[in-house]
Amino acid sequence: MGLRDEVNVTVVAFVLSVLLGIGSLVIGYSQAGFADPVRWFVVLGFLWLAAHWQRWHWFSPVALLLAVAAAAYGVWKEFRTVWMILGALGGLLGWDLFDFARRLRYAAPTDDIRGMERRHLERVAVVVILGLVLALLSVYVRIQRLAFEVAVGLILLAALGLTRLVIGLRKY
Amino acid sequence: MIVYSLILASIVAVRGEFIALALPFVMYLLAGFLRAPDDVKLEAARHLSTERAAPGSDVVVTVTVTNRGSHLEEVLLEDILPPDLTIRVGLSRHLVRFAKGASYTFSYTVSGPRGGYGFESVEATIKDRLAVTSRKVRLEAKGQLFVFPPVTRLRHVAIRPRRTRVYAGMIPARVGGAGTEFFGVREYQPGDPPHSINWRASARHEELLFSNEFQQERVADVGIVLDGRLRTNQFTRGHSLFEYSVLAAAALADALLTQGNRVGMLVYASFLRWTFPGYGRVQRERILYALAHAKPGGSEVFSDLEHMPTRLFPPESQIILVSPLHEDDLSPLVQLRAQGYQVMVVSPNPVQFELSYLPKTQTVELAGRVVRMERMLLLQKIQRAGIQVLDWDVNEPFDLLVKRKLSRPPAWLRAVGG
Repeated sequence: MGLRDEVNVTVVAFVLSVLLGIGSLVIGYSQAGFADPVRWFVVLGFLWLAAHWQRWHWFSPVALLLAVAAAAYGVWKEFRTVWMILGALGGLLGWDLFDFARRLRYAAPTDDIRGMERRHLERVAVVVILGLVLALLSVYVRIQRLAFEVAVGLILLAALGLTRLVIGLRKY
Repeated sequence: MIVYSLILASIVAVRGEFIALALPFVMYLLAGFLRAPDDVKLEAARHLSTERAAPGSDVVVTVTVTNRGSHLEEVLLEDILPPDLTIRVGLSRHLVRFAKGASYTFSYTVSGPRGGYGFESVEATIKDRLAVTSRKVRLEAKGQLFVFPPVTRLRHVAIRPRRTRVYAGMIPARVGGAGTEFFGVREYQPGDPPHSINWRASARHEELLFSNEFQQERVADVGIVLDGRLRTNQFTRGHSLFEYSVLAAAALADALLTQGNRVGMLVYASFLRWTFPGYGRVQRERILYALAHAKPGGSEVFSDLEHMPTRLFPPESQIILVSPLHEDDLSPLVQLRAQGYQVMVVSPNPVQFELSYLPKTQTVELAGRVVRMERMLLLQKIQRAGIQVLDWDVNEPFDLLVKRKLSRPPAWLRAVGG
């Protein structure tokens, strides 16, 4: 089996991710009666797919930012949160698989491409599903007695943790 | 940045949904960071199928990388190739997964033009399972490849330096003794073999006998000067005569060393590269190494032959200059001859060479005639100074030219005794 065939699994997953992300945003915005941005989302989706074949590596991070920005705007406008979370999640998956497919291009035909693809897809799927479950739980499970100050404190604690995380990442 | 922005939006808008939006990203970052490789200990080793190759021939490079540290999920290995080498078969870049203690070996085939190539290291880019973190390390894996110039076998190169060394060789030494070439007649000495008596000369004298004397043949000191100046080698559209000069120098050095002579080599380009004189196969290797590294170059100091360090060459030895020649080279060559050196110039013909790349128009033809006459005049002046000149049209094989012109010394040189 040649390199092109083996990469196809990642490419299919990438296409599905873009469809998931863009589709969720389209549905979310359409339900809220925002028709104009929907067209732009479709264009963004097509461009993202084209970027893969045209090897516009710079485009994927831009597309991710746009997808997250659109989801955040939707949340702010009080569109259905599920669609917005799915939109951002699709963007994250698309960005990851776009980059993974790019890295796989460096592999030689004799390398274990299929094994790498399988393991990567499994891990990404687990992480994304966990993230989705956690996000949905945080939306639907409400702790009524939690004061706003406590919430802010928790947020700051999370920010602190994230800062530590970023400092750790910079070592690499 | 995305996570920070979403948290900030959450605080500003007092909306928990933004945090929910950020959670998958946080999960992703955490999963990548927590499983990042902490202990990277990779080692690389390199093996070349040969360290000495001919131009364009295939050399198999085998690289083995061993993981002495923890498990690495995604490692991009890239062998850094010296410039000018091209990959003919296989790839120098591989994406692999390394279990603890595992090794990975890959091979590829390279070829390249004449030169000395040093392989230094293999670059490894290590990523975690989700490529959140990335680390680049260079693994030392040294190797050297020498692509030697092709050596044309020459049967005999006749030279006549004024001074020879004491060891027996093939160069006529201008001294009577045991040899093959007739040198003269002298009075018979007791102990002379009877077959050496010259009966014809002895018959003319009643009481005296005469013996034939032969010329001793010894080895000589030879200095080969390879002219690598840009002004003499570089022509329009990047064409260069230098490769032909290298080919001639290699063939001459090989032939002269085979004859038993002591040969040194000076590459005269942007700087001087001197290979000390020596004998035999080891010296042949040294000269080929020097020729593998030789590159044409320009410099203000060495733009003409005035600064040639003649003291490197033993007095009255043979100097062979391999150069396309420039009109300014006449005076230094005459000076060299005046210092007592026996000088020979092997000159790849630049006029013929450049004309072969130019369109055959009337103007080019006329210009070609003028330049050809100028060169002919220069060569005649050099010859008049007692310097042997081989004008080499590079379309002709070098060994044929040497066979025609150098299989024995020219008559005028034998007549004047060098």
